Amino acid sequence: MKEEKRKIYYLFSPYLRIFHWIMVLAIVVLFITGLLVTKPVTVLGIEPTYTSMSMDWVRNIHFIAAFAFCAAFILRIYGFIVNKGDRLFPRVWEGHFYSETIDVALHYMLLKPSHAPFLRNPLARSSYAGLYAMVLVEILTGFAMYYMTEPSEIGGLLFGWVNVVLGGEMMTHWVHHIVAWLIILFAIGHVYMVLRADIMEAEGEASSMFSGVKFLEHVPKDANEVEPPKEAK
Amino acid sequence: MDKRESMWDLYLKKGMSRRTFVKSCVALTSLMGLSTDQVSKVVEAAEQKPLPVVVWIHGHECTGCDESFIRSGAPLASDLVLSQIALEYDHLLSAASGAPFEAHLEETIEKYKGNYILCVEGAACTKDNGVYCMSGGHTFTHLLQHAAQNAKAVIAYGTCAVSGGIQAAKPNPTGSSGIGYFTGGTPVVNVPGCPPIPEVMTGVVMHIALFGTVPPLDGEGRPKQFYGNRIHDTCYRRPFFDAGMFAESFDDAGAKAGWCLYKLGCRGPETYNSCGNLRWFQGMSYPIQSGAPCIGCSNAHFWDDGAMTERLPKFGQPIGDVDQIGAVMAAATAVGVAGHAAASVVQKKKRIADEKKNEGAGEE
Repeated sequence: MKEEKRKIYYLFSPYLRIFHWIMVLAIVVLFITGLLVTKPVTVLGIEPTYTSMSMDWVRNIHFIAAFAFCAAFILRIYGFIVNKGDRLFPRVWEGHFYSETIDVALHYMLLKPSHAPFLRNPLARSSYAGLYAMVLVEILTGFAMYYMTEPSEIGGLLFGWVNVVLGGEMMTHWVHHIVAWLIILFAIGHVYMVLRADIMEAEGEASSMFSGVKFLEHVPKDANEVEPPKEAK
Repeated sequence: MDKRESMWDLYLKKGMSRRTFVKSCVALTSLMGLSTDQVSKVVEAAEQKPLPVVVWIHGHECTGCDESFIRSGAPLASDLVLSQIALEYDHLLSAASGAPFEAHLEETIEKYKGNYILCVEGAACTKDNGVYCMSGGHTFTHLLQHAAQNAKAVIAYGTCAVSGGIQAAKPNPTGSSGIGYFTGGTPVVNVPGCPPIPEVMTGVVMHIALFGTVPPLDGEGRPKQFYGNRIHDTCYRRPFFDAGMFAESFDDAGAKAGWCLYKLGCRGPETYNSCGNLRWFQGMSYPIQSGAPCIGCSNAHFWDDGAMTERLPKFGQPIGDVDQIGAVMAAATAVGVAGHAAASVVQKKKRIADEKKNEGAGEE
């Protein structure tokens, strides 16, 4: 049997990994409770007086998950500062980014048999930038609705302008709701692409979000962007 | 300039007692959202300040705001008009008409330059130079600009004056908009609502009259004391919302029992007004109390924010609302992903086969 020489690439700091899984949990909780807030359900046709379907609780869970999610960004930012592998912003200022993105996109469109191997592929990185943009919209619109219970307090002053920009608080609800669905669409695509990279391209994507490292046989194209790899024992 | 009467002078003249006067002042104080220790200031102002001159003009609208205004209970609209302000010109309430009436407007503007309060109801009509709304031989926008630039303050009464109202609903054929663009540098107080609550209308004009300054305003130029709370946050049906008890249709047991109207499209969660705490007509009732969901009439674009009995705007059959679209798109994405996965497997097998063939060719 051919001997495999694999190298260990250290990518994701524990801060990013913990943040990632908090985000996953938060998005699931926020999405479910969010749908319940928009369309409260009647449990099993029982009169609501006798059920535990409490909007108060649903909203509280929604808000707690939202604050936890926002707080988790502290981990994300710290990881970004201390670890090269956490810096996932698409390198749009580098010329090769565009050709590489097209290369990957052509492969995903099944027009090319394969794409160059990456530790963190440029198309995926762009999609993460898109996700963060969507999360930002959710945070701004969410706090705009949340804090406007007291328009003159600090929260209302910080986020109240969002309602004006979007042309009314009704639109804020609307945008918040639509973007929530877009995030779910992203999540479906994201899970698929990660599993696909794992199974089809032997990239070790899924495990890297637990262990922080990738064991790779091949040399990825963007290896120079992170710490030099170690030899696997 | 002849001496102008104060509120107290007028009360004396009419033979009303000091007690009635002070009672009026107390009512005014609470109405303006001030704390009771401000009563002395209000009394002082009412004794000394001459009655404020008010010019009240009407643009593109239904005069529903005036219908609301004349139902003000505290102070009574008649008291306000006859003994608390000096209403010099009003399209609706004045007995005079024609050229002398218009001449009186010019006189008033000239005489009280920079001292009168301009109340505006109705939208400014901007399309085709504003010909769709004429007043006294001029376009309304001309009158508005002229009257506003010489005023001490402008009060925009009603959603029309604040942001265009029903005339500005899509497709807005007359190019109607709020009056903000035409008021120049004069401070504007926005009093939205369709119509605004009567006591809010009288409260705002009395605040400017007695204190000579506009009341504290929020980011959208609305007086904080009246527009500082969401209807949802002040609603007496809020406990039903928190408990998850909703009327599902207008005729079910929940609706009869007075449960929350959230699912019937109530705009309370998006609307800032005093309906929840002041209510209408001396606290008699307000839309939600009468079983009708709030339509958000003090919001800028409430005519265009989807059907008023729907929680979120729908796109009509067969597309449905955003949740249905979202669910269909998520399903489509999942199917697409599965298809892509299958195609990828086929592609990879082909690639491996090709590579093997090439390797074989190389060895030969």
